[in-house]
Amino acid sequence: MEFTILHLYPDCMSLYGEYANLAVLRRHLAAMGVSVTVETALFEDTPPFDRADFIYMGAGTERTQKAALAALLPHKEALRAAVDRGAVALFTGNAMELLGKSITEEESGKVWPCLGLADFTTEEVVYQVQGDVVARTSLWGSFVVGFMNKRSETYGVTTPLFGLVERGPGNAGDGGPEEGYVDGNVFATHLTGPILVKNPDFVDFLIRRIFELKGWALPEALPVLPYEREAYAVTLKELADQDADNPPGPYLQG
Amino acid sequence: MRLFLAVILCKALRFIGGLIGKGSSLPGQFALKVCPDALGRVRLPAHIIAVTGSNGKTSTVEMIAAILTASGKRVVYNKEGSNQIEGVATLILSNCTLGGRVKGDVLLLESDERYARHTFQWFHPTHFVITNLYRDQLTRNGHPEWVYDAVKAAIHPDTTLVLNADDPLVSCFARGHDPDKVKWFGLDECSVSTKEHHGVYHDGARCPVCKGRMEYSCYHYAHIGHYACPHCGHRRHDADFSVTALDLEGGTLTINGETRISLAFKSIYNVYNILAAWSVCALAGADKGTMAGVINNYILKNGRMITFTLGKHHGTLLTSKHENSVAYDTNLAYIAATGKPCTVLVIVDAISRKYFTGETSWLWDIDFDRLNAPHIGRVMLYGKYCNDLAVRFKYSQVPADKIDMGGDIREAAALLADHGDEDVYVVTCFSDRDKLLEHVARR
Ligand SMILES: [Zn+2]
Repeated sequence: MEFTILHLYPDCMSLYGEYANLAVLRRHLAAMGVSVTVETALFEDTPPFDRADFIYMGAGTERTQKAALAALLPHKEALRAAVDRGAVALFTGNAMELLGKSITEEESGKVWPCLGLADFTTEEVVYQVQGDVVARTSLWGSFVVGFMNKRSETYGVTTPLFGLVERGPGNAGDGGPEEGYVDGNVFATHLTGPILVKNPDFVDFLIRRIFELKGWALPEALPVLPYEREAYAVTLKELADQDADNPPGPYLQG
Repeated sequence: MRLFLAVILCKALRFIGGLIGKGSSLPGQFALKVCPDALGRVRLPAHIIAVTGSNGKTSTVEMIAAILTASGKRVVYNKEGSNQIEGVATLILSNCTLGGRVKGDVLLLESDERYARHTFQWFHPTHFVITNLYRDQLTRNGHPEWVYDAVKAAIHPDTTLVLNADDPLVSCFARGHDPDKVKWFGLDECSVSTKEHHGVYHDGARCPVCKGRMEYSCYHYAHIGHYACPHCGHRRHDADFSVTALDLEGGTLTINGETRISLAFKSIYNVYNILAAWSVCALAGADKGTMAGVINNYILKNGRMITFTLGKHHGTLLTSKHENSVAYDTNLAYIAATGKPCTVLVIVDAISRKYFTGETSWLWDIDFDRLNAPHIGRVMLYGKYCNDLAVRFKYSQVPADKIDMGGDIREAAALLADHGDEDVYVVTCFSDRDKLLEHVARR
């Protein structure tokens, strides 16, 4: 079983330790006997989408994000073809915004046309949209935990990855009821950093999807690596304790 | 009249605050209510020095104060590190005459990166020292380019900028600023310089101006070094104040090829703090002899390093800052350089003392590989987020059999009290350090 991960722009779209997402995915796959190769592409490269099974991009500063957009736009058909062929794509942090139709700058009003793989649009704002997030998804059973840190609001997502944000901001900023984007094997969330490290069930979900797409036989039990689930439980409990007296919590009982 | 009342009120509250040991920003906060433009009305000293940046602000400010005081100047500065506008107002108004004149030759301010704009809407510094910009408390501050934009908005065209030439982002502050009003400090290529970048992430990989690939002829640490962008020409500026030779192990540095300084604290970060202080003090008229006299073997009194005994162990607590990988890396490098058999205790219990967050992404930015050294026999991971630490360490080069993971900090203290006699280094944040210190005997 051979598997190729393509990490887009790891030298700079890596603001919150995003490399850990691929490190943890790689280790889980390796524990299942999958031989994983990680390739990287920088702005100057033509990303090898044709041989990628998994495509990942993390967050950058707004200015770096625009440079990433400029680098990726000429290759959008190759990215689309890879996804159509069954490659899984995961874009986290403000890399998610690139998948949509456009990003509009706050002060200048300048519109940056994006990849157009999804229908949503993003508007940059002058304030910081940040906070610890707890959300639900219909894709797996447990709550999602993470942190959002952005200066933008995303509108027009009809298929959110996390359908109900219990705590923290969502796509449309503070009070947004939903977060992220999913369509087939394209996954995006504005949660930053090592979202897969923080959510072992997200890793397991992706592994099931990967095995299905590759036509590999899934073992009865997926590997459980030490401390990951314990760390998740502590984070969720801490957040629930914070919210015990504040609506809409406590979601642990919900 | 309102200014007069504000000054009186500030002094009175400050006096009462001093008696009951209350915070330093409250008097200024009330005074600004009485006279909102008080900071625009007071008569300020001829020299107003502000210091900002991600790391080293407090140390640099302390050093500047010591040098200028030794130079015979009366320095008014915010010792308490209360660096937002209310704290600055407290400082200024409580050091005013009733006529509204600040009693001093130099006003010296440690300025919060994000709030400098609010403080400096009423007056502006004559000299603005910007030490460095890196990832620091991203949950609260956001990323370094947000901080850059916030500081940029605080810069007045008449201010002389004193910039770290070796930081490519800090160097951008000179863009569009009168070149006669920019002074640079930097470190020549020297014994600590490397050709390769070291660290988990590289925020200098891309040019901050054009996002092209940056080229470095050498690195001093992190993204600090000698850089040049082949695409847009953004490059390290020649320094007006240079460390021309550095022997970190021996603990000496030379400034501008002529003044030798002994280092009490042998860290590259201390070198930059000294150089920043030297630069602005020279610009403020201090003479070399006085500056060298003060900085030689200068020992910081900020209490970030605490020594103690616990059982048979000699312990040293190195205060890092959670959510600040550079602060952690500083301390990890210090431990790695000791060379004597030791145990390292890392504690992450409350991520901040000021606000709640469960965000642990920053653990992945810390270069824990530095603890993979033969003399470090054991690494103990404790506190509420010990599992997150343990996951992180599984992706480090530290061998699994050296890791001891526990939870409760009391257990860590009890374990150490009962077993062993090797040196112990504790790496943790202000938010967590007292949880260990209550179990030890301070030395
Ligand atoms: Zn450039």
